Amino acid sequence: MGVVMPLNAETAQARTQRVVNEDSTDIALFVRSSQDDMTGWNRQRIVDALLRETFIDRGTAEKISRDIEVTIQAGKVKTITGPLIREMVNAKLLEMGLEEARRMHTRLGVPLYDVDQLLVQHNKENANVPHGPEATNLTLAEGIKKEYALLHVFTPDVADAHLSGDLHLHDLGFIDRPYCSGQSLEYIKKFGLNLPHALSMAKPAKHAEVLLAHMVKFAASLQSHFAGAIGWDAINLFYAPYLEELSDDGVKQLAQMMIYEFSQQAVARGGQAIFSDVNIYWEVPKHFVDVPAIGPGGVYTGKTYGEYEKQAQRFAWALFEVYKEGDAAGRPFFFPKPLVHITEKFFKTDGHLDFLHHICEVASVKGNTYFVFDRGDTAKISECCRLSFKLEASDLEDAKQPWKMRYSALQNVTINLPRLAFKAKGEDTVLFQLLTEKIQLAAKAHEQKKKFIERLMSLGKGGPLSLLAMDLDGEPYLKLHKCSFLIGMVGLNELIRVHLGEELHDSDASIKFGLKVIAHMNIVCNKLAESMGMKFVLEQTPAESTSFRFAKLDLAHFTDEAEKVVQGNREKGEVYYSNSTLFNVGANMSPIARVEKEGLFHPLIEAGSITHVWLGEAKPDKEALAEFVINVFKYTQNDQIAFSPEFTACLACGKTSRGLSETCPYCASKDVDGITRITGYFTKISSWNKGKLGELHDRYRNVDRFNN
Amino acid sequence: MTLFTTDDCVLCAQLKKQFDLAAMEVQVEVLGNNDAGALAHLAWHGLVEKARKALPILVLDDSSALHEFAHIESQLLDRAARCGVAAKRHGKPAAGCEAGSCTLQ
Amino acid sequence: MVNVDLPPIKGFLETSFIDWPGKLCAILFVGGCNFRCPFCHNHPLVLAPEGMETIPFAEIMGRLAARKNWLAGVCISGGEPTLSPGLPALIVRLKAEGWAIKLDTNGSRPEVLAQLLADNLLDMVAMDVKTVLVQDKYERCAGGPVDLGAIQKSIDLLSYSNISHEFRMTIAPGLHTEEDIIAWNQQFDRSRSRLTLQNFNPRTTLDVRFEKEQGFAPEIFSRLVGRIA
Repeated sequence: MGVVMPLNAETAQARTQRVVNEDSTDIALFVRSSQDDMTGWNRQRIVDALLRETFIDRGTAEKISRDIEVTIQAGKVKTITGPLIREMVNAKLLEMGLEEARRMHTRLGVPLYDVDQLLVQHNKENANVPHGPEATNLTLAEGIKKEYALLHVFTPDVADAHLSGDLHLHDLGFIDRPYCSGQSLEYIKKFGLNLPHALSMAKPAKHAEVLLAHMVKFAASLQSHFAGAIGWDAINLFYAPYLEELSDDGVKQLAQMMIYEFSQQAVARGGQAIFSDVNIYWEVPKHFVDVPAIGPGGVYTGKTYGEYEKQAQRFAWALFEVYKEGDAAGRPFFFPKPLVHITEKFFKTDGHLDFLHHICEVASVKGNTYFVFDRGDTAKISECCRLSFKLEASDLEDAKQPWKMRYSALQNVTINLPRLAFKAKGEDTVLFQLLTEKIQLAAKAHEQKKKFIERLMSLGKGGPLSLLAMDLDGEPYLKLHKCSFLIGMVGLNELIRVHLGEELHDSDASIKFGLKVIAHMNIVCNKLAESMGMKFVLEQTPAESTSFRFAKLDLAHFTDEAEKVVQGNREKGEVYYSNSTLFNVGANMSPIARVEKEGLFHPLIEAGSITHVWLGEAKPDKEALAEFVINVFKYTQNDQIAFSPEFTACLACGKTSRGLSETCPYCASKDVDGITRITGYFTKISSWNKGKLGELHDRYRNVDRFNN
Repeated sequence: MTLFTTDDCVLCAQLKKQFDLAAMEVQVEVLGNNDAGALAHLAWHGLVEKARKALPILVLDDSSALHEFAHIESQLLDRAARCGVAAKRHGKPAAGCEAGSCTLQ
Repeated sequence: MVNVDLPPIKGFLETSFIDWPGKLCAILFVGGCNFRCPFCHNHPLVLAPEGMETIPFAEIMGRLAARKNWLAGVCISGGEPTLSPGLPALIVRLKAEGWAIKLDTNGSRPEVLAQLLADNLLDMVAMDVKTVLVQDKYERCAGGPVDLGAIQKSIDLLSYSNISHEFRMTIAPGLHTEEDIIAWNQQFDRSRSRLTLQNFNPRTTLDVRFEKEQGFAPEIFSRLVGRIA
């Protein structure tokens, strides 16, 4: 029992509840802690926190707490907050050179001013995030997790590389999740809906509509466990056994329900729609032909998937009819993104040309269709904006039990290519050396993320990633040992411009050098994959905000060099670097040339690539498009293409028209929003960040009307 | 003319032994040896996927590509003759390229 | 045949998805035109072709050859191609390489058209019929004097030959009334000819004289298209 020793007569009067300790001074002070609580001053709490959170010894902790107490007494505050005490302790740790302890003791959070701004103004980093309470919750939480990631998941060298703009660690605010995923509907067909923390359990669906309901719930649940896209393999084929009882109208209705379900801005995470991809095949993929089909009730129907070709085609056709019509205002649906696989077998399947015309018509009037090219024997399941998982031999074994086909990329790290060119100053050896070092650093970042996720997963079904740990088929849903780790790139075009003095589209020499840069990345990734036992794969970074961020940072830190090559409008701040290995969007190239030349890079970028053909206002002939698609398959190496038209949606009269206008052609209102493809998905231009706005302006505007 | 090869490829080795490729002005690219230039060259010709299935590949002066060993050999014999370079006669065709070892990994 | 110079080609678009319904084609632009349509969006070719660089024919043939496996045909546009005496020679050279040929024309030179058709040099023709064949109306749309007899001859030639063809009209509120459009429609034998309406678009028009004009509102345009269906 200690002796109460008032500091002086005045403070003794303001005293309330006290817990005292032998040496502690009695300070009459209210402390607002973060526990929604007001308590009296207690020096011991400082000691306890330091011992709990850092590695410093008791003696030092006691000394610090006494120093803080003295400082507080010298001031005349009547109330103090927990956070402020913490910051004072941090300052003391800094003073004492105890950097590691300070780092561990630090508080994460957002300034009052920033919160105020955020609640009122729209955060445009991700065009997919609307404004609203859910969205601001998401942004604030992401902010804290991001700080946590940079302080505690990644080592300082990695964190600094990110902050300075050498690298970009994607989705830091989702540090406790994998990046994106691809899966088969078969999982919930077979196991029903048995989600962790759910209030009820559902048996396998007996009817298509119920299956759809399960799919949407499952997708939402997946969305809350992944940072990026949720992809579904061969969706029309896996629904097929449930369609036999439906009339054509019924199938169309199901297609409508599915597209509307995924298209609505959901009340799911952050108020975002679920970023979904559905992979569609006109034929029954070879690896599924002999696989026993699961149907109503989750039981085998007795047939194989090869026998469901017609049903699968019915659904595929109906889906595209819905896409063609657009929504109630005639606008294109943003999600789910339909990816049609063009394969050798496609061309051997009856009715493929009609289907190709059908999906090309959709591409022409609404733009939704993605054409994925699986040449030779490659099979892919694609999602995100261009990410694809190539199915290897072991995966094709899994195909016999399709619920086992689950893929994930754990993280994406992107490299700032133009900056490497600034530093190399024209020297090839230096450039490639710097590139190798950056990739090694990126690999290190991946390793750190992997360790973190492993730690969370090790807590199993009772842990924070319970959905991913769920093992209805004997294996955790997230197959960690099969995860890939993506290495992306931004600004190859600008790297070439700096290093060679011309752009990719200017000469064969620049393309060849560009290929060498990417080939080098490919080789380094493979070497590291072997030595570190992790699947590193190159990816064309969607770069929605990354190319904007890199450009801004380079203008700040490498002003002289960056000013010469950064794209966009500097006065407006609408600056950007060219996306990944894409040619300058304003280059005067014919669509054939673009598809061909960009396609040369695609085989080196094994996680997936895309070429965009911008259509602007013109509504192309569907047969001409179809011929183009067939020729891309036959004569190029291009991995994936999409035709992107532009639309203007009027917020006053609700009508949609083709092309981008500043006023509505129907009602002349200026209250319009443009709709076109951002990096790989449709969205409203009003939600684009400045960099993307700059790019939009440059897209084929510079094209000579009469020559390309 | 370019011959794309890889290191532990029996057919590639045979061709290198049989022909004085340098004298025939045939560039030899060795893949899989961390040579970004060779891989980039392969990509320039749009042959990456094909090389993942089988090597060697011979790219002719008009940029067309030959994949069948017999065609490659005959084309090289032709070239050797036109360049006035002697080609060594080879014995039995080498075995051992079935298991996919002669590919770009 | 007299050795004539090939028409100077002022533009080459390697790929068009819209100019030949059903086919991926390349477009060659020939300079010079005898009309001065106020809504023309190719006005540099019309007003000042000499200021545009001529693309060497060999280069064009080379580029086309490189795309032989991609493209279904070549479209010859402009300006007004039938003004060039070298047009048939140009087409013969292209045909010799196996190209299908589409011609865009305002139909003011029926004799040229007749010869091309007789020599089997064309696979498709798109003729712009600016409005109903009434003198003052047509001249307003064509921006100058017009021989309507010639226009009618060209229409008849195309309608009664076996050639795949379409008649097109670009419409603008300042130039066409609904009655005009209905009357235009009635000039043709719908069982033999395809008709297309294009809405005037001020943004793609670089012609200063018409930049303040507007096209038809989309729903009106749709209705007009419906009237001629």
